[in-house]
Amino acid sequence: MQRRTKKAHYLGLLLHPSAIHSMIGRIMRREDLPYTSKLINLYIERGLLKTQPAISTIQGLLKTHFRCERCLNTQSEKFIHFHCAKCEQVCTYCRHCITMGRIASCTQLLTWAGPSPQHPKKHQFSWTSTLTELQQHASLELAASIQQKRQHLLHAVCGAGKTEILFQPIYNALQKGFRICVATPRTDVVLELAPRLQKVFPTTMIHVLYGGAPEQQSYAQLVIATTHQLYRFAKAFDVMIVDEADAFPYTFDESLQKAVYKAKKPDAPITFVTATPSSKLLKQRDGYSFLPRRYHNHPLPVPRFQSLWRYKRQFKKDKLPKQLRQWVEQRIEAKQPFLIFFPTIEMLEQALPLFSPNILGVHAEDPTRKEKILKLRNAEIQGLLTTTILERGITIANLQVAVVGAENPIFTASALIQIAGRVGRDEQYPTGDIIFFHHGISLEMDLAKQEIQRLNEVANE
Amino acid sequence: MNKEVTHCLLCERELQQVITWQTLFERSWPPVICERCEAKFERTHYTTEELTTIFYYNDAMKNFLRQYKFSQDIILAKVFRQELNKLLRNRSETIVPIPMNPLKKKERTFAHIDELLHAAEIPYEHLLEKTTTETQVGKSKLQRQQVAPLFSCTKELAAKHYILIDDIVTTGTTIAHAKKALLDAGAESVTAIVLIKG
Ligand SMILES: [Zn+2]
Ligand SMILES: [Zn+2]
Ligand SMILES: [Zn+2]
Repeated sequence: MQRRTKKAHYLGLLLHPSAIHSMIGRIMRREDLPYTSKLINLYIERGLLKTQPAISTIQGLLKTHFRCERCLNTQSEKFIHFHCAKCEQVCTYCRHCITMGRIASCTQLLTWAGPSPQHPKKHQFSWTSTLTELQQHASLELAASIQQKRQHLLHAVCGAGKTEILFQPIYNALQKGFRICVATPRTDVVLELAPRLQKVFPTTMIHVLYGGAPEQQSYAQLVIATTHQLYRFAKAFDVMIVDEADAFPYTFDESLQKAVYKAKKPDAPITFVTATPSSKLLKQRDGYSFLPRRYHNHPLPVPRFQSLWRYKRQFKKDKLPKQLRQWVEQRIEAKQPFLIFFPTIEMLEQALPLFSPNILGVHAEDPTRKEKILKLRNAEIQGLLTTTILERGITIANLQVAVVGAENPIFTASALIQIAGRVGRDEQYPTGDIIFFHHGISLEMDLAKQEIQRLNEVANE
Repeated sequence: MNKEVTHCLLCERELQQVITWQTLFERSWPPVICERCEAKFERTHYTTEELTTIFYYNDAMKNFLRQYKFSQDIILAKVFRQELNKLLRNRSETIVPIPMNPLKKKERTFAHIDELLHAAEIPYEHLLEKTTTETQVGKSKLQRQQVAPLFSCTKELAAKHYILIDDIVTTGTTIAHAKKALLDAGAESVTAIVLIKG
């Protein structure tokens, strides 16, 4: 009798299925769950929630090493030790993933360990355009790799239409009830991809995750996220697609690469997509598709070099270098939208007042970035000054591009190829100007130009 | 001690190592934020006999407070240690931080005012406690001043002169209440140094 009442009591406490759905594949802080401590403990006792400490310590020979179990960071300078008023001892927190809510030694991390739901296999695929022969071929190759759980590298030049290539393989995976993640290092790319995928899969629940994105409840079978957001997942995905796989900071931040592997199921295949694969990516590929030609069959615009001697000193003296001024005047005259890339925020801020008020500046810390890009697209402004933050993901018809200080080490060959790839993407305007203003030609500038010319030759074969 | 901070604590850019001359009488730390971030904080140069404030509450400060208090990024206590040290190091008064509600402190895992002083290597003494857990939000200035005392003294006072420390001052009610509690307990003088003028 007593047993029965106890059981009835427990049943009254059970979580709603949709609450469970939103926990699947997630790594959660205990304090973020909107349930009572009693209820959480019950789920832990029953083995439905697994607990783990947030910061683990590894005793080394000379010192203690730390690892954050959410972002897998191990850099010692990212761990801060303090006297904690909660656990009343020396406690350690991770600064590397602090924007997702701080986790410290006394934080409990929870993952769902109970059964997973059956995913819907019925999805609407609303896509009517056709692929070019090259795209079609690559799409089939990629679908086959995913089917065979093989790693795949999709190497497609800027403007080859790589996103369209992903549609059919994603649809195949959705129909099998797989959970799919499209991850990219760049928030701008997430924002560009999300509406396109939602349009193609109108009935599929899609979550779009990036820093500052609104909280999304329930369970999404398709997740589009920055690689940063993958810190929040563990063993969640059956298919992992990493778009712009060579972009900053993914290649520089080892914890982001680990996060990709942690977020997927151990046997889930990864697809890397990029226009400028690193030699490492080219080596570790298993399946490989190569698209040297743009979808509209026009060649890639080849950059031209223009000296802009002592431009730094001129900006400092509040002077707009003559050749740059002329270039901008020509764009305005021809009513062509344009981007001018700068190597640093400081130089961008120095140069911005020298331009007309109808030209704005954007950089990584700019909260109004989205709106400014939209203004350029809608021809409400003439041009944008930008840091390398816009080297990828942005597509604007008839866009003309200049790089100021192209010899700066921040402009690697792949960054310059990506920047040049912003030009001539639209079928209506397949050409356009891409100019590298410099104070001396760098090796990377030469490499970028050679590679673009090589790709154009390969495409013609 | 501070060699581990190689990147700006606010924007993550690499810090340029600036060589500064350390005089015999002044404690000086290497910077933990870059010049660009530092320039975004706006100084008040506000000093009266009763109250000194150091910075205005602008966007940069708003972000700083959010990251320090809400995101619990304790290391940010180091950002203003030079300023606080300079203002407080030669003072003979007893330094009294505005206390936190103990439950709130446990939840935040640290007392933000104490940590600012700790980072600035300024010794302090807790002499006050909050008498009520009611927050001031949503009350008018008059209402706030009319409510029962916000603080009481926890100890018999040994010294005569005190400096109160708080992070932000808007109406001045908190400081006024704390000051009254100390004066009522026998203090001869109470002034205040507050990081931010709201
Ligand atoms: Zn703790
Ligand atoms: Zn972390
Ligand atoms: Zn900074």
